[in-house]
Amino acid sequence: MRNRNKPRIAALAAATAAVLALGTACSSSSGAPSVPKATGSASGTITWFANQFGPTTSDVRKTLISDFEKAYPNIKVNLVQAPSDSDTYRSTLVTQISGGSSSFDVYNGDVVWPAQFGKQNLALPLNSYFDSAYWNTFSKGLVSSLTYQNQTYAVPLFTDNAFLFYRKDLLAQAHLPVPTTWEQVQSEAETLQKDNLVKYGFAGQFDAYEGLTCDWTEFAADAGADSVNAGGTASTIDSAAAQKALTYMRGLITSGVAPKAITTFQEQQSETLFTSGQDAFLRNWTYAYADSNSPGTSKVVGKVGVTNLPTFAGQSGPGYSVTGGWNLYINPHSKNIAADVAFLKWMTGTQAQTVIAEQGGEIPTVASVLDDPQVQASNPAYPIAAKNKLNARPSYVAQYSQISEAIYNNVNAALSGSASPQAALSAANSQINTALSSNGL
Amino acid sequence: MTVIDTPGRLDAGGRPRRRGELRRSSARLGWGFASPALLVIAAVMIFPIVFSIVMSFSHVNVTGNGFQLSGVTGRNYSILFGSPRYWHDLEFTVIYTLCTVVVEMILGTLIALVLERLTAARGWLMALLLMPWALITVVSADLWAYVYNGVYGVFDAIFNAVGVHDLNVLGTPTQAAIAMGVADVWKTTPFVAIMVLAGLVMLPGEVVEAARIDGANGWTIFWKVRLPLLRPALAVAVMFRILQAFGLFDLPYVLTHGGPGTSTESLALLGYRVLFNDLEFGPGAAVAASTAVIVLVVCLLFLKVFRTQVGEQED
Repeated sequence: MRNRNKPRIAALAAATAAVLALGTACSSSSGAPSVPKATGSASGTITWFANQFGPTTSDVRKTLISDFEKAYPNIKVNLVQAPSDSDTYRSTLVTQISGGSSSFDVYNGDVVWPAQFGKQNLALPLNSYFDSAYWNTFSKGLVSSLTYQNQTYAVPLFTDNAFLFYRKDLLAQAHLPVPTTWEQVQSEAETLQKDNLVKYGFAGQFDAYEGLTCDWTEFAADAGADSVNAGGTASTIDSAAAQKALTYMRGLITSGVAPKAITTFQEQQSETLFTSGQDAFLRNWTYAYADSNSPGTSKVVGKVGVTNLPTFAGQSGPGYSVTGGWNLYINPHSKNIAADVAFLKWMTGTQAQTVIAEQGGEIPTVASVLDDPQVQASNPAYPIAAKNKLNARPSYVAQYSQISEAIYNNVNAALSGSASPQAALSAANSQINTALSSNGL
Repeated sequence: MTVIDTPGRLDAGGRPRRRGELRRSSARLGWGFASPALLVIAAVMIFPIVFSIVMSFSHVNVTGNGFQLSGVTGRNYSILFGSPRYWHDLEFTVIYTLCTVVVEMILGTLIALVLERLTAARGWLMALLLMPWALITVVSADLWAYVYNGVYGVFDAIFNAVGVHDLNVLGTPTQAAIAMGVADVWKTTPFVAIMVLAGLVMLPGEVVEAARIDGANGWTIFWKVRLPLLRPALAVAVMFRILQAFGLFDLPYVLTHGGPGTSTESLALLGYRVLFNDLEFGPGAAVAASTAVIVLVVCLLFLKVFRTQVGEQED
């Protein structure tokens, strides 16, 4: 046996060496990326890789495409359905684009991806296709979050804000005002629970995932803390203000205002608790208003109020909301950049943004559209959104994904009681610093 | 090999040269027939494995034209081995694999022994048993997520009824790990049972009969006769289970998201996150490559130990 194995091992070694050589050969052929020019008139067929957004009953993407094709008769747009889960979707994009695929030209992408995608050359830099007048049409703060090392990698398609949803009927029954501070949320929730009006007082997204980074960023900003310094060079998460925020969040659970299981809640679980009538206050995104008023699935139709998120006592209100939402990116391997650019421009124009706002139920990114009284009247959340104080997650850092993991893993550990707030913040601090120095997982 | 050897042996009578020629030509023929399949295996299995090993030793960049690998570096591994998260995930994966495989082997063997006794209902019971195994893990993990749900879960309701309130199974590190183990055992025990049952059915009846005539009781027959004879079947089952359990991904991905914190994060989940969420391709490839090496070494060791034991048994 032993002797017979030897030639086989030799053959295997030879094969390995051959493949190694092949691997090295592959690597030497690729050079620095160059930005292709958008030459010629915009025409032909492009493919839009997009996840579903807006109401599930009608597909607003198809409305947008047919309106676009009317405006640009020479361009045809194919819609390809993308995964709805953000992380699954990102893996699909990374596999396809890094493999050189040009099977789609324009794709929807999360607001927190530009720096990461820019660094890894997964998105086409757009500065040479759009002028500053174009970038100035968007609401304040949106464009800076799309920029990495002076290049803009996406255009904002629609934006999303967080709100406090509350039970109008319960507050009226207990003669309580709509809360404007987090302390008030806690005490009013306790009152409602004591009076046996409702089982739980508060629900949010405290599971170990991106949603917790959103919730955390809001609580922390309200307490005066942030996670990374403005230059994106060092962690600032281990502060007294951050500890105040985390201690408050943990207190929601220990006092019984929030269910213990909130540490496993994502958007859907928190919304279900609210729409099943078992919860008084809910932190969630714009769509929760429509969902909690849809008779088929909600038991609290007509009883739901929406307001800006509260802040901590002593701070000027309202509280901060993080910016969510989706952008349009161009695949660097696209063979029809001119048509892609025309599509991006049209999708961020007045007509498309009005459709997105009125039919899609998503907050438009173009400031003049959001200010339009007719648009404001179409959704009770829009006038409130206009008053929101916005705070971006530190996604201007290319290592944002690791930073977010450091935040949600440690904050989740503290919320579930397996680490103290102090220990969790100090662990998050060292993990963020390790990520920023690109020296660890 | 035996098939190839047979014609040579038939003409063995004093014609050694012809035997050698025959063997060589049929070996050539064998390689010829097998080469398309070997090429496919090389393309879809060996190349990706070797590529990820190469990647794990390189500086990796994604350019407009795909991956760019440059230089040979140990940096990816030094990042990996310097990270407490890696060691935690390795420890978790090893302990999880050991615990679930042991429990599954014991339960699976017991079930197989019961099934062997049954005659009429065996087919029905086997079909029933195979249902959890046939369910896609993502689906069954989602079902278990409903069972463990801290607000309206069945589990919570049962504990509420006996006076334990506000249990947060998936939100507590040890409980979450055990909950995941239970879901795993529920799903894969039937596989072990079927493998062991196949082994039991193949056992030579005469040996057991002989032992009985010699006056051995049921326990002795099981421990001294049947179990040693079952070893090949058990070994195959253990191998499959170790390989699968070590690659644990879908259960924590769906059921716990690796949480609370990173307490139930497996190596495979870590690799996925580093590769596809963080886009750190070098360290991600290092996770994948090191996991593959660990699995390979464990399996080789296991096979070696097992072969020696079987050898002793045959002597």
